Amino acid sequence: MISANGALYGSYDYGEVARSVLIAIGASYASLDLAGRVAVAAKGRIRLAWLSGGAIAMGIGIWEMHLKGMLAFRLPVPVEYHLPTILAALAVAILASAVALHVASRHSMGLLEALTGSVVMGGGIVGLHYLCMAAMRLPAITEYSPLLVACSILLAILFSLIALLMAFGLREEIRWTVPRRLGSALLMGIAISAMHYTGMAAATFIPASPPDLSRAMSISPLANNGIALVTLVVLVAAVVTSSVDRRMGVEVRRLNQDLERRVAERTLQLETVNQALRKEIAERERAEESVRQSEDRLRRVIDTLPALVWSKLPDGSADFLNQRFREYTGLSVEEGLGWGWMRNAFHPEDRAEEEWRAAFAAGQPFEKEARLRGADGTYRWFLLRAVPLRDKRGNVVKWYGTSTDIEDRKSAEEALLETQHRLAQITRIQAMGELAAAIAHEVNQPLTAIVTNANFSLRQLTGSSPNLEELRAAIKEIVNDGTRASAVVARIRSLLVKGASRRAEIDINDIIQEVVSLLRNELTRNRIHLRAEVAASLPRVQGDPVQLQQVLINLIMNAVEAMRLSTERPRKLVIRSGKSADGVLVQVQDAGPGISSEVAGRIFEPFFTTKAEGIGMGLAISRSIIESHGGQLSIVPVPQGAVLQFSVPVSSDGGL
Amino acid sequence: MTEPAPIVYVVDDDPSVRRAIKRLVESMGLHVELFGSATEFMNSSHPDVASCLVLDIRLPGISGLDFQRELIKTQHEIPIIFITAHGDIQMSVRAMKAGAVEFLTKPFRDQDLLDAIQAALERDGARRQSVADTALLRERLESLTPREREVLPLVVSGLLNKQVASEIGTTEATVKVHRSQLMKKMGADSLPELVRMAEKIGIPGSGR
Repeated sequence: MISANGALYGSYDYGEVARSVLIAIGASYASLDLAGRVAVAAKGRIRLAWLSGGAIAMGIGIWEMHLKGMLAFRLPVPVEYHLPTILAALAVAILASAVALHVASRHSMGLLEALTGSVVMGGGIVGLHYLCMAAMRLPAITEYSPLLVACSILLAILFSLIALLMAFGLREEIRWTVPRRLGSALLMGIAISAMHYTGMAAATFIPASPPDLSRAMSISPLANNGIALVTLVVLVAAVVTSSVDRRMGVEVRRLNQDLERRVAERTLQLETVNQALRKEIAERERAEESVRQSEDRLRRVIDTLPALVWSKLPDGSADFLNQRFREYTGLSVEEGLGWGWMRNAFHPEDRAEEEWRAAFAAGQPFEKEARLRGADGTYRWFLLRAVPLRDKRGNVVKWYGTSTDIEDRKSAEEALLETQHRLAQITRIQAMGELAAAIAHEVNQPLTAIVTNANFSLRQLTGSSPNLEELRAAIKEIVNDGTRASAVVARIRSLLVKGASRRAEIDINDIIQEVVSLLRNELTRNRIHLRAEVAASLPRVQGDPVQLQQVLINLIMNAVEAMRLSTERPRKLVIRSGKSADGVLVQVQDAGPGISSEVAGRIFEPFFTTKAEGIGMGLAISRSIIESHGGQLSIVPVPQGAVLQFSVPVSSDGGL
Repeated sequence: MTEPAPIVYVVDDDPSVRRAIKRLVESMGLHVELFGSATEFMNSSHPDVASCLVLDIRLPGISGLDFQRELIKTQHEIPIIFITAHGDIQMSVRAMKAGAVEFLTKPFRDQDLLDAIQAALERDGARRQSVADTALLRERLESLTPREREVLPLVVSGLLNKQVASEIGTTEATVKVHRSQLMKKMGADSLPELVRMAEKIGIPGSGR
């Protein structure tokens, strides 16, 4: 039992040695595993938890391995162990493990860090080992071989370095494989064991006095196995925890990924929907914009049309007036709305509201002329055209219309009419001149003969010896020529009344109507207000419509002529129709200066006239026409103005 | 020398007027001839006696005024009295400017017509007398010798005998003989009378 140098001879329990190596391998595996967990663990407390957990498990593993290795060494003396030192060794193991784990789990590991880490770790392991040795209480003195001690320190640092590198290399879990880790664990376990047993080999025990056994205890095989078991449980628990955590991590990640994928999918869906919505919104905006643009365009068109454009309610009150209306009249929108378009813009004489209301009520498109006051106060003629818009049932919902400036046309028309009128007058005067020449010649020839013959007769009678035969002949010629002259006059008159008389059954009101429409411009031009008071249901009469029109035109034109010069009285012309005793009666009343009794006596004589340009045939011819219809043309005495009337009997037997 | 009775021509398209005028004018002792148109008048023969034309303006075919112009152009210098049923100032001015004696409007006063006819016939008589005188003078002029005809214009232009002699290259005495001869032949009693005669037949120099 005692070696040659006097040292105690120690032997190994190889079963225990194997178990210590296994524990070393298990601890290595757990360390590698935990290093990976620490590396992936989040920062802060979770990392700290993993780090401390891992360090504890690893520290216990390493510590147990040493303990086991020491128990496997059998000496021929009882060996007890000093408990506080054993526990201090455990603490050193745990600290060294913590440093190792910390270093191996960092994002990056430089050479300096690796070396520092391995020195600390190696130092820890060496410390652990020699503390354990120091805890031994046996009746011997321990001597160390310096070479082997150095060797064991180097090995510890070397293996620590290898372990750190391995742990760092294996921590990337994505790439890890169990066989690699197992291989690494195996290598590390053997390395740790080798260091331990090298350290053990460095010690030599020289028998001495019994040790101080205070606080020392003997470790029974039961306790030995119990510690080993606890260590295994701790290691397994660590690995299992790590594995569960890893699985859970993986699961969480998977769930996370799933969730993220779903979120991504949902986000994509939402984005698609969002995009669709955005597109729709954009389209709507575009549509709204185009509606607004087209509205703008329409409004611009309506506002710039060279016409006053408006819309009115069914009763004729305006609800829209375009800009041009406002510009022309100078009225505000409010002033033009309702009936303001008439009351505030029309010439007072043209404000025939009743007529307009009737036209709107009739519901048919219509047009009317009126003078509109411009912003400058001058009036211009406008043509107002209105067209109704109807609903399905045919009710008028709106009136649309325009007012077009026709002042120029109107004045051109008036000028044209004036010219025509003057031309007609000139033509008439010319015709009358020629007619007069013809009449003069025709009448003067017999008159010349008469006068000459009469003078001859007188000379004969005053002479001493009248030639009675010549005298008789002369007087006979005088008689003949007198008859001839009267025949000429009769012929002229019939010439003027001429035109094949055409008889038809006529309504005298139609005649009035036609003549009024024929002369309307003439009346307007002379600013004469016409009132027609026609009686309803008059008997129809036989007559020549053209001739009767001619008579009526003649009477109206005389009335116009009579009023043309008067300024003090309103120029009012009344045309009446009514029943007479045997037919119908038409009266034309003017507000002119009237007819003096002197003139009244001669007014129907041919060639009698009060007009500068007249030839005095109008009324004479008119009377012939009326008489040819069996009626009478006469003057009705009135206190003011003049009334001429003619009658036409129902059955006209007179004349032609 | 007694002139034959003058003739009054009446052109009017109205027979009754024509007849009345004829009756009136004939009662004054004048001879009247009636025509219905200007053409009728032109186609008839007109004796060489004092005469005048009573012309209506309005006529079938050519009008009175146009006919007047026609007559002037063809140097028929018959005095014209216009009568018209419908005349105007313009017409009368035109007629009078063209030499009408009178412009009467129908129906006219009988005395006016008769006075106008009287005036017209007198004017025509004078004209005829002047024509006859000229013809006589021309006859007398024919009876002069060439030398006398040469001397005449010089004498009437107011030259003295001496000047005339130097003008035609002879003696003053010879001129004197010519002068008395031609005065006798022309029937002139004095130099002024000779000058008037020379004017009438249009001898050059007489107007100087």
